[in-house]
Amino acid sequence: MKIAALKYCVAGLLLASSAALADVTAPECIAPAKPGGGFDLTCRVAQTGLAAQFDKPIQVTFMPGGIGAVAFSQFNTTRTDDPNAIVAFSSGSLLNIATGKFGEFTENDVRFLATVGADFGAVVVRADSNFETLDDLMAVFKENPAEVVVGAGGSVGSQDWMKGALLLKSVESSPRDMRYVSFEGGGEALAALLGGSIDMVTADVGEVITHLEAGNIRVLAVLSPERLDAPFDQIPTAIEQGYDVEWTIMRGFYMGNNVPDADYQTWADAFAKAYETEEFRKIREEKGLLPLNLSGAELDTKVKQRIGELRQIARDAGLIK
Amino acid sequence: MQEVFASLGTGFGVALAPFNIMLVLIGCFAGTLIGALPGIGPINGVAILLPIAYGLGLPPESALILLAGIYYGAEYGGRISSILLNVPGDAGAVMTTLDGNPMAKRGEAGRALSLSAIASFVGGTFAVILMSMFGPALARFAVTFSPSDYVALMVFAFASLASLVGKNPWKTLMGALIGLMLATMGIDGNTGVPRFTFGVPDLLAGIDFLIVVIGLFGMAELFHLVEQQVTGKLQTLPVDSSFVRMADLARTKWTILRASIIGFFIGILPGTGASVASAVAYGAEKRAAGADTSEFGKGDVRGLAAPEAANNAAASGAMVPMLTLGIPGSGTTAILLGALMLFNVQPGPLLFTQHPEIAWGLIASMYVGNVALLIINLPLVGLFARMLTIPQHYLTPLIAILAFIGVYSIVGNPFDLFLIILLGMFGWLLRKMEFPLAPVILGFVLGGLFEDNLRRALSISAGDWGILVESWKSLALYGLAVLAVVLPATLSYLNKRRARDRAPT
Amino acid sequence: MIDRIFAGTLLLITLAYGFIAFTLIKAPFQYDPIGPEGWPQILAIVAVICLIMLMIRPDVDSLDTSRPTWIKLACASAMLFAYAELYEPLGFIIATALFATLMARLLGAAWGRSAAFGITIGVAGYLVCAGLMGLNLPAGPLPKI
Repeated sequence: MKIAALKYCVAGLLLASSAALADVTAPECIAPAKPGGGFDLTCRVAQTGLAAQFDKPIQVTFMPGGIGAVAFSQFNTTRTDDPNAIVAFSSGSLLNIATGKFGEFTENDVRFLATVGADFGAVVVRADSNFETLDDLMAVFKENPAEVVVGAGGSVGSQDWMKGALLLKSVESSPRDMRYVSFEGGGEALAALLGGSIDMVTADVGEVITHLEAGNIRVLAVLSPERLDAPFDQIPTAIEQGYDVEWTIMRGFYMGNNVPDADYQTWADAFAKAYETEEFRKIREEKGLLPLNLSGAELDTKVKQRIGELRQIARDAGLIK
Repeated sequence: MQEVFASLGTGFGVALAPFNIMLVLIGCFAGTLIGALPGIGPINGVAILLPIAYGLGLPPESALILLAGIYYGAEYGGRISSILLNVPGDAGAVMTTLDGNPMAKRGEAGRALSLSAIASFVGGTFAVILMSMFGPALARFAVTFSPSDYVALMVFAFASLASLVGKNPWKTLMGALIGLMLATMGIDGNTGVPRFTFGVPDLLAGIDFLIVVIGLFGMAELFHLVEQQVTGKLQTLPVDSSFVRMADLARTKWTILRASIIGFFIGILPGTGASVASAVAYGAEKRAAGADTSEFGKGDVRGLAAPEAANNAAASGAMVPMLTLGIPGSGTTAILLGALMLFNVQPGPLLFTQHPEIAWGLIASMYVGNVALLIINLPLVGLFARMLTIPQHYLTPLIAILAFIGVYSIVGNPFDLFLIILLGMFGWLLRKMEFPLAPVILGFVLGGLFEDNLRRALSISAGDWGILVESWKSLALYGLAVLAVVLPATLSYLNKRRARDRAPT
Repeated sequence: MIDRIFAGTLLLITLAYGFIAFTLIKAPFQYDPIGPEGWPQILAIVAVICLIMLMIRPDVDSLDTSRPTWIKLACASAMLFAYAELYEPLGFIIATALFATLMARLLGAAWGRSAAFGITIGVAGYLVCAGLMGLNLPAGPLPKI
């Protein structure tokens, strides 16, 4: 610990002259997973999109273990004041915090910093399905939910399950009456849909693009607050079809709780500035994310409110007491 | 078919550009090196080198060709540590240790390495040919495999394992059960409930496959070496200049062909892959050998060639659903899918019409990559085999150092370093008690697939077990499973009877 | 005898595993009839039968490991645990150099050669793996490359 502190001191002194940014001398983005997944992608957007905002390149490091729980508990115990490190999170992490999967620590033990983009839920059926519109599907959900085999890439209580549960709740059916099959990742669920094992998938917009272009599937609704831009502008939202279901998959970063305000602000400002740049827009699009720009206190408040809502949904569904 | 050849021509035009050939060679070489580290198989090799490849700012087709080289290189490299150190590089290489390592131990490392390189080459090339001919049609068939069909496939895979039975069948069964039980640790994929995690966050995601393999094989091997060192049973091997012989190839030609077919077809099914393919191929080979199985597990060339041909064929087979449907069939192809998307190439049904130069360039570079690997690897065999001449008091710590590098650089969690040591002690004990280790690993890999698909099938049917025997694919697989168990017993009975009938005359 | 002890120990672990499977694991609700507890329950039952068979019909009498071997094995384990413990704090180069030196010495190399081997492997390993291949290894107090 002492040695590490000394190292930061020396590095700090060396860089003090050149750095306009207080203590952020060695920016680091932590992806709390193995390389290649969504957290990796989140960090890559920051790495490229924020390159112009810092003197030194942002290092991406991986801290896998327990679906992000290892990183979360480390930033609640030993690295609460590290001004250099930001940790990637997604709505899935928020759900894990809400349902207590991350143990004793809660959303109030970290500070949420900024988002890099978003994806949205999508209600997907095969192109030759009998369900022509969301209304067709919802009518069955209302009358006899067990008639539809719903598949998705997550376990009971995951984001994908939540989307299905919310759809059922919007027509006053119980999520427990759903016929839900969990697969390992959205890809496997879509394969099962195409192969005819299941009738419907609660997927994400980002993962269905190619299948949509190829004409294999039909997207009955997107679960975004408003209509998306092209190529999805033809797909109605669930809300405009009269079902109050929305699911935004947020991707962003948090920091330790004891990071000095000045450093937190430095990072938040860097994101706010980056949002306006062409590089950021480009990398976000390349990584298949849709725009969602929120940083600093605004995001922190919003996320904490969101976790509260998630906790309520989970409680209603009987997932937690 | 005409079309296929024309498109392949275009592809070769891209892949054979001098700059791209150079990239394939560099990729293969780097991939081989990184794959040779114990535990770092193709998944991690590609994941590690992907950012570097991306950072070079190459045009998409060149970058993908480089990645394909790395992928194949790592696939080949994985067998090096299996054969030399008895530490499989990834799940698909577990079966390679069974006969590959005994060969190395008796001074035929060069023979084992070169034979496996050729088996891999044939398996890989065979699969790429099938892929370019029938890819899309096969992919459409593969997705019709429902969860209940997967259950049948798992039953068949476990039935194939019956051939692994060693001296004491109860120990084989217990080994598989240990693997199955280890696989249940972590969050249940179906209900999200943590199982056997004892509140330790590091265990929530379960124990990584890599950890189990490096622990049970690599670290256990280390303890074993220490023990032999002390008792003086261990001698440093002399320089080994053995090489594959024509007779070996003649003996294994049908083995390699059979294993390539098995590997390819299992590989195209999403979710299964090299591990299932190599296990089934090994079992099939042992069965095909009839009465002549005494050398299996002690360094039989067929036992080495079969899993190597199968796992490379499966690796290429897994590319079929990824390229044609956009559905990754394995961890590695999931990463390749991510890589394609990095370059704004969206795999899927439209890939071949929208970006023919990329799709066919990639396929052509798989042909080139396979050839390049053979050319790079055969001369290097001697160099790698020389590793075994390092005195044991240096080689033993080296195993730990390589294992630590593998685990830390991929998993990045010091907790896992302790786990591999504990698993290593356990593995050493199992070995001392004469438990076979391969069933542990296969139980670990297949257990999750078995449980998940069984529960998926029953969720689909709302609890009706009848779903398991509904489709002709399931029934066919159960039939094969019964054959796999009954046939060898019947054959040996018939053989004995024939021998007895003949005896009196 | 030793195999009976081993099978007995495994049996105790399996019983604990089974106890957890039969009592503690439970989903708030589930869609499949097996649930998160069903599969481990089946495994536990089969494993118990299997272990009882192993206890009835043992086949390995003793470990055949002498006292000096046990001591060396214990030393090797201790070194491995220390290596794991110090991996991050000391960084790859120093931790590896120390571990490789001591391990080579334990296995019978001379002190001088062991140290030379340890230092070489620590430095070269880091340069090749972290430098050339870009793997993520702990730098410890030394500057990162």
